Amino acid sequence: MPPRPNPLIAQLAGELEPVRPLRMRHGLALVAIATVLTIAAIALWQGLWSGPAKGQAAAIFFIANGLIALVGLASARTVVRMATPRVGARQDGLRWLLAALAILPVTALLLMALEGAVGRHDHATDGLNCFIAGTVSGIGVAAALILWLRRGAPVAPNVAGFYTGIAAGALGSFAHGMSCPFDTIGHLGIWHVAPVAMSAALGRIAVPALIRW
Amino acid sequence: MIADEPTFARLMIASQGGDRRAYTVLLTEAQFWLERFFRRRVPPAQIDDLVQDVLLAIHAKRATWDETRAFLPWLAAIARYRWVDHLRRAYRSSESELGDHDAPADSEEEAVLARMSLDRLFVQLSPAQCNAIELVKIEGLSVTEAAMRTGQSESLIKVNIHRGLRKLSALVEEAD
Repeated sequence: MPPRPNPLIAQLAGELEPVRPLRMRHGLALVAIATVLTIAAIALWQGLWSGPAKGQAAAIFFIANGLIALVGLASARTVVRMATPRVGARQDGLRWLLAALAILPVTALLLMALEGAVGRHDHATDGLNCFIAGTVSGIGVAAALILWLRRGAPVAPNVAGFYTGIAAGALGSFAHGMSCPFDTIGHLGIWHVAPVAMSAALGRIAVPALIRW
Repeated sequence: MIADEPTFARLMIASQGGDRRAYTVLLTEAQFWLERFFRRRVPPAQIDDLVQDVLLAIHAKRATWDETRAFLPWLAAIARYRWVDHLRRAYRSSESELGDHDAPADSEEEAVLARMSLDRLFVQLSPAQCNAIELVKIEGLSVTEAAMRTGQSESLIKVNIHRGLRKLSALVEEAD
């Protein structure tokens, strides 16, 4: 069958300019820069907690912040990949990681119910401050990821928005967590994980409209 | 015969570098591939518009293909995305029947197409959602006609279309 002439193809070919392909490492570098700048801003503004360096931090400080950072990195990686679409991309591993993160608030709530541990170790005002600061600290990462997705071609905007929120909330909470001296499961499990949930909801609602193409 | 994966990939690498002749061949081959990809899920009168829409998307987003990955899954993801968008906007067409306009195809191409086809998305929907979308959004029946045909109430047809499209949208990338 002879090819049917298509004026659109001739027009698009006439407009063709060389392009630099989107590379995953550039997207990841953008997220890394946003995270480092956020930590630097927090260090300048309120200083980082010296407890971990002096061996004064409890094990849960490292476990909780490590898990939150891991969720942030894995989500950010997923979002960066979503800018370059393909059939067959799944996020099953990330869902399990999110389930692992949920162990922290579940443990905190269980202890609260069984022992009143949260009330004993933590004050709601400090917790609320961490929740707000952790959520706000994710703005830089969110902006970087939205910028990246707008350059790309995300074909699942709702999912991309949700994971953008998770990544921003987790990396923001991690960055803020470096300055927070409260190292109890009650505090970390609730007030440092809550920004992840809040940002996920915000991302799911607000981001799709910004990245649709 | 439509170009195969290595040919598409070679043409796309050259196109990203600014080779207009390679780009013309690439878009022409992509047009054939897309016509076949859409033919069983889009009324014939609407295929041209949808294919043009995807060609424009390829042009605008050509930097998002990474040469370390296969080309056809990239093209199929964009085609699915535009198709779901199209279903949302679908209007009742006077030429609503899906014709039997299958062109002969070689079996390897069919296998690649089948793996990423739109049918693979439909199997993830419930039968009621699938029916509602096919009758109203693809065949072009009114909600009332679809309700009479399926025995579902009109409001249930609307709910099934809404939920089905939302699910299709979420499946664009995930479903193999």
